[in-house]
Amino acid sequence: MSEKQPKRLLVVDDDADMRLTLKLALEIAGYVVEVAANGREAVARQRESPCDVLITDIFMPDADGFEAIDAFRKQFPRTRIIVVSGGAQFTKRDYLPDAQLIGADATLQKPFDVDVLLRTLQQLF
Amino acid sequence: MKLRSHLLLLSIATAAPVVALATAIAIMVVKQERESLRDAAGERVVAVLSAIDAEVRGSIATLRALAASRQLEAGNLTAFHAEAKRVLDTHPDWITFTLAHPDGTRLADAAQAPGAATGGVVDRASFDAALVGTEPVVGRVVVGPAGRNLGIPLRVAVRGADGEPRFVVTVVLRPESFADVLREQRLPDGWVLNLLDNGGYVIARLPYVPAGTPATDGFRAQLQRSPQGWFRGKTLEGRDTYTPYSTSTLSGWTLGIAMPVEAVNAAAWRTLWALAALVLIASTVAVGLALIIGRRIARPIASLAAGVPEKTSIDEINALGAAVRERQGLIEREKAALQATDRAKDEFLAMLSHELRNPLAALSAAAHVIKLAPADADASVKARAVIERQTKHMARLVGDLLDISRVAMGKVALERERINLGEVVSNVAATWRASGRLERHQVSVRASPVWVDADRARMEQVFSNLLDNAIKFTPAGKRIIVGAAQEGDHAVLQVSDEGEGLAPELVDTAFGLFVQGERGLDRAAGGLGVGLALVKRLAELHGGSATAASAGRGKGATFTVTLPAVLPAATAAAPEQRAPVPTRRVLIVEDNDDTRQMMQEVLRFSGHDVRTARDGTSGLALAAEARPDVALIDIGLPDVDGYEVARRMRAAPGGRTIGLVAITGYGQAEDQRRAYEAGFDAHLTKPVAPERLKQVMAGLR
Repeated sequence: MSEKQPKRLLVVDDDADMRLTLKLALEIAGYVVEVAANGREAVARQRESPCDVLITDIFMPDADGFEAIDAFRKQFPRTRIIVVSGGAQFTKRDYLPDAQLIGADATLQKPFDVDVLLRTLQQLF
Repeated sequence: MKLRSHLLLLSIATAAPVVALATAIAIMVVKQERESLRDAAGERVVAVLSAIDAEVRGSIATLRALAASRQLEAGNLTAFHAEAKRVLDTHPDWITFTLAHPDGTRLADAAQAPGAATGGVVDRASFDAALVGTEPVVGRVVVGPAGRNLGIPLRVAVRGADGEPRFVVTVVLRPESFADVLREQRLPDGWVLNLLDNGGYVIARLPYVPAGTPATDGFRAQLQRSPQGWFRGKTLEGRDTYTPYSTSTLSGWTLGIAMPVEAVNAAAWRTLWALAALVLIASTVAVGLALIIGRRIARPIASLAAGVPEKTSIDEINALGAAVRERQGLIEREKAALQATDRAKDEFLAMLSHELRNPLAALSAAAHVIKLAPADADASVKARAVIERQTKHMARLVGDLLDISRVAMGKVALERERINLGEVVSNVAATWRASGRLERHQVSVRASPVWVDADRARMEQVFSNLLDNAIKFTPAGKRIIVGAAQEGDHAVLQVSDEGEGLAPELVDTAFGLFVQGERGLDRAAGGLGVGLALVKRLAELHGGSATAASAGRGKGATFTVTLPAVLPAATAAAPEQRAPVPTRRVLIVEDNDDTRQMMQEVLRFSGHDVRTARDGTSGLALAAEARPDVALIDIGLPDVDGYEVARRMRAAPGGRTIGLVAITGYGQAEDQRRAYEAGFDAHLTKPVAPERLKQVMAGLR
């Protein structure tokens, strides 16, 4: 992690409490954190103030995580992507590998230890 | 073993006794055939024998006449000789006659005149027998004194007045003349007619053998045993025959008709063969029919077993096929239902995992924050709030789970009482509206009083679940209509929406446990999918039912819970109803649509006449016009604030008696003090609970 300029993170989750706690935890770790409730909002937020890492859930109302990843890959190719999801076994399928397949840099299954997320972030840079 | 084999066995089993019977009959028939043939031959024997007797009797009569000749009595032998010669001329069956002295001396014969005769007696036995009695005696076949001709002597003694024999008159019968009688019988080829004298020598025979030939040893031995009957033996020609025979009492002669054994058996065999052929044909036809019928029965059964039933003419098999098809359909439907349940269960578990993981993730992150941030830092405060909320959320999820398992297993104790279902609907709707959960939809409440004997909390749960379901599956802005009403003997609770509707195949299963609407990956619907299952079980526990109806996908759905209706509670039974609130004119001034509509519904349901306004200015105008008894006024109105509105209402004509209730979003002691200063009689804090609203209304003058 660069000492001079803190990395900017964008947390996308439809659950407000999830957004809030991740923001708080990551801010304590020294990151600058933006939040969005869904994929569409995330793309808009990214246009206003670009972030270095997108941390997104997969299953959300409106544009789902897959669409968000796709949009980020095309429009913001330099942004790294971490997917977190609790729906790992939704309808007997593990979607996390799918996320990795379409371009996520890392995946985490909910619930996860914030330290693991922090280590994953450090490995991205 | 195959069915056809069974049928074949059946036909064989049926045919076997028939064959056995037929065999027995055949044996009897053969026996009878043989006996009847023998009897016929026996009768023939008697007939032929009596014809021969007639011949003999004729000769005896003539012999008696000769013996009684007056010439003989007078001793005029020459005259007698002439007389006898004349008689002999008329008897071609006679060879000659003799006249003998009792001592055996020949006195005369056909060729020798009296006085010139020579020669003695031939066949002394019959001569002696004739001397003993007065009756004519038939002798044996003997050769005449000339040694040429064979003849049979027929003798009678002529006695004097003293009874002593004077003469013996004999006529010698020509054996050939009896052959003529036999010849008249016209017997089939191979048959033998045999006329024997009393010594067992042939008199005449067909086919011809010379007279005097001895009969076979067999025949003679048989004659020793019995004068008549039948026997089996060989003829002189060596032929195997059955021979019925009979012996004449007149002449002592025996007639036998020998029938070739083959001829007798041939008749029996003919009968036997005919019978056997019949039995064979019948058996073949039976077995063939059994095979054909067997195939007709077996083929449809086999094809039924193979799963491709074919139409047959056998009703039972058609019925069986129909039953099998029905069972198949049933099994497939049940299988599909089981698979659907299984799939639903899997999805439910996946969903449950997802629903629990999310709060856990938030809790985990919050714990992390608390660990690292100072306790009084803003981050810690927020994290603690998150923990509180998420814990409650999880507790609710777990509670739902426990609930469904308890309700599903029927382990729920209902606290039943007489309750107004319409009130339950309007209260729950009002609470939801106050909490903002109905703000994305146009929700109309049409509740009229209808009483049921039910657990209030469970009824609230039933309606909440139905409402929750409608909200989940109805797009924002669309209508949802909820209501309760009495229909005949039933209380009907209904929630209709303009949402996604139900595919026809889902209408029946909508209330199944773990069944959820088709969901995209976005899980917009959310939840555990147990709500409707709970509704159904609870309705059933209350003696009612739950049904779903939908015109199809995208056409909305209506969920209906029907419960037995009861008479309204006696006033004493329901404390809330004890002091009914008098009907009042109520004015609501509130800019928040949800709060205003909720209060309007609750008050209207309680029987009040309700008017509404969205801001202070129009509220004051309406108050002046409608002269309400009570005014509910929001403090945070967009134009004039609530305190000011209250002050002006109090100051208006008739304003002294109006009941004023403040509605605030803060609930601080300071706000209450200011409200009472402004002239309010009572105070309500948002979100407004329907029960609290009713209490406040009841508390006003």
